[in-house]
Amino acid sequence: MSRAARRIVCVGSRFAPDDRAGPLVCDALRSAPLPGGVEVIDGGLGGLDLLRFVAGAERVVFVDAVRGFAPGKRVLLLSAAEASRGALPAYGHDGGLAYLLRALPNVLERPLPEVLVVGIEGEPDAESVARAAALSLSVATRGARRRASGQKREARGKAAR
Amino acid sequence: MPAAEVKASRRIEVPLNRVEGDLEIRVELQDGCVADAWSSGTLYRGIENMLVGRGSYDGLVITPRVCGICGTAHLTAAAMALDQITGASPPANGILARHLALLTEHLQSDVRHAELMFFADFVNPAYANCALHSEAVRRFAPFQGRAVVEAIKETRKVIEIIAILGGQWPHSSYMVPGGVSTVPKKNEILRCRHLLGQFRAWYEHRILGCSCARWAAIQSCADLDAWLDESLAHRAGDLGFFMRFAREASLDRIGRGHGNFLCFGQCAIPAGSAVRGPGGKSDCLVPGGFARGETVLPFDQEKVAEHVAHSWYEDYAGGRHPFDGVTRPFASGAEGRKYSWAKAPRYDGQPAETGPLAEMIVSGHPLFRDLVARGGPNVFVRELARLVRPVALFPAMEQWFAEIGPDEKFYTAPPRVEDGRGFGGTEASRGALGHWVKIAGGRIERYQIITPTAWNGSPRDSEGVRGPWEEALVGTPVKDPENPVELGHVIRSFDACLVCTVHTLEGRRALARTRI
Repeated sequence: MSRAARRIVCVGSRFAPDDRAGPLVCDALRSAPLPGGVEVIDGGLGGLDLLRFVAGAERVVFVDAVRGFAPGKRVLLLSAAEASRGALPAYGHDGGLAYLLRALPNVLERPLPEVLVVGIEGEPDAESVARAAALSLSVATRGARRRASGQKREARGKAAR
Repeated sequence: MPAAEVKASRRIEVPLNRVEGDLEIRVELQDGCVADAWSSGTLYRGIENMLVGRGSYDGLVITPRVCGICGTAHLTAAAMALDQITGASPPANGILARHLALLTEHLQSDVRHAELMFFADFVNPAYANCALHSEAVRRFAPFQGRAVVEAIKETRKVIEIIAILGGQWPHSSYMVPGGVSTVPKKNEILRCRHLLGQFRAWYEHRILGCSCARWAAIQSCADLDAWLDESLAHRAGDLGFFMRFAREASLDRIGRGHGNFLCFGQCAIPAGSAVRGPGGKSDCLVPGGFARGETVLPFDQEKVAEHVAHSWYEDYAGGRHPFDGVTRPFASGAEGRKYSWAKAPRYDGQPAETGPLAEMIVSGHPLFRDLVARGGPNVFVRELARLVRPVALFPAMEQWFAEIGPDEKFYTAPPRVEDGRGFGGTEASRGALGHWVKIAGGRIERYQIITPTAWNGSPRDSEGVRGPWEEALVGTPVKDPENPVELGHVIRSFDACLVCTVHTLEGRRALARTRI
């Protein structure tokens, strides 16, 4: 595994129509050159085993299909805490990403990496995949906090104009 | 009806947490005990039908995605079936590179199942008055128990062995007919040996509380009792704690089942290897066989048949061998009689449980033969077999890593074959796994997969005989139907795994029924 400090880990199954958002975003990201220091990983159904991609990273963006977080929104950005709120009360074979996100603070060495989730609600289409790919790349490169403050500055600039 | 004849009867439906995929158990309670049980796989996936018409090697890529945690076992079975079809003879290195990844998957799975899933039930409020409950919480509380956190960390590291040997994890596709497609370098083999050594040291320290050699010396129930009393370290390890808790919870008195055991066998030993199987035999690490009582018969895949009388598939009479099997969903018109998307596999017409305990019984392990002879199969002995299976895997793996010759061949090209059929059978972490493959004109004509949970969690067959864990549930006392932790123990002792399903993150979980 390379030492890239910023990783985009795409999660899901290509063979399940409502769970293939992650792999499709993975394909989209790999179809164009990536910025230096950003690595894209096809996490498949790795679940808890995706821990190895989080350890030692500066920032990790998971991309996955989501359901019930923001009705009406197709592509959204979630914190690890928000994304793991539906985690089962204990580990199971179906624990998946939600369990991993909730376990991270207990099993990782400090300092903890910044961990975010780009979610796609509903069956993915070309537009939502492209938006999710762009958002995950932006967050992986700049981080959620810097990205948010950048957007505020941009908004203030527009208002001043 | 006189009041005395009225029995307290109640049906409860129990969706199961901590299983792969979708499983619901329905039980009928009479006077606080399970009188009957039905196991329902609630999800149809159609992987077998998806394979039909594809290229003959496509099973190597698609079937590892049947499951996110036992993809290496599926890859092994798929490659073995194609070995048979093509007449391939993988070189020793290729065989070992396959075995080592498969056994690594077992190491991870066995430890995770025990520490993260099975023992999680010990913190259930049902045991709040148990003397060992507070210690169970310290060890096994979800997300933060000492043993939970350690198990996550350690099993993450050991699985890197598969990533090194197979190029990626999960869903590796490096096994091909004739061997493997990746060649590990010397330093990568050394890295694997280091990872294995670290994991073994942790396993001996935290789980066994003794060396593997000391544990391997236990040959009988009397030896087992003496071992537990021998030292504080034995009692304090997670294995010793499990034994003490199991006694208090009477886990040796529930989950009996049919008493039939099936093992497909695993890891043929290459010529020249110093590794030996049970009894010092040199053919395979774990032999295949079918056992009932003291009798063990050699495994013969011709005796496998799948029934669909109670499964949501188009009916046919009796059972069909997988080479002749079909998977035609048929969900309407027979509700009530049909109740599961799982088929009902049978061996020589009989249901059979599979998994680590079956491996121990078929292999003739003296401790497990003694335990089953005295108390029958049960929850305790099933989970014990899983927790100590790594003891026999470590020495074989260490030896095979030493025997791999990085400068020698890992692959021998097989001839191109357009037509044929082959069977690939191995042990997945949860038990017997088989792939039956027919190709015609270079395309897959038929692909049938029977997973361990298809055996263990099968519905009734054409004769109306219950599947293994349906049978194991019968007679189980349930103290609180609102919190039927006992049913969870029984099902989880089989390590239920109804294939991977959709891993979508959910914002809310609105569940109307009790989940255990």
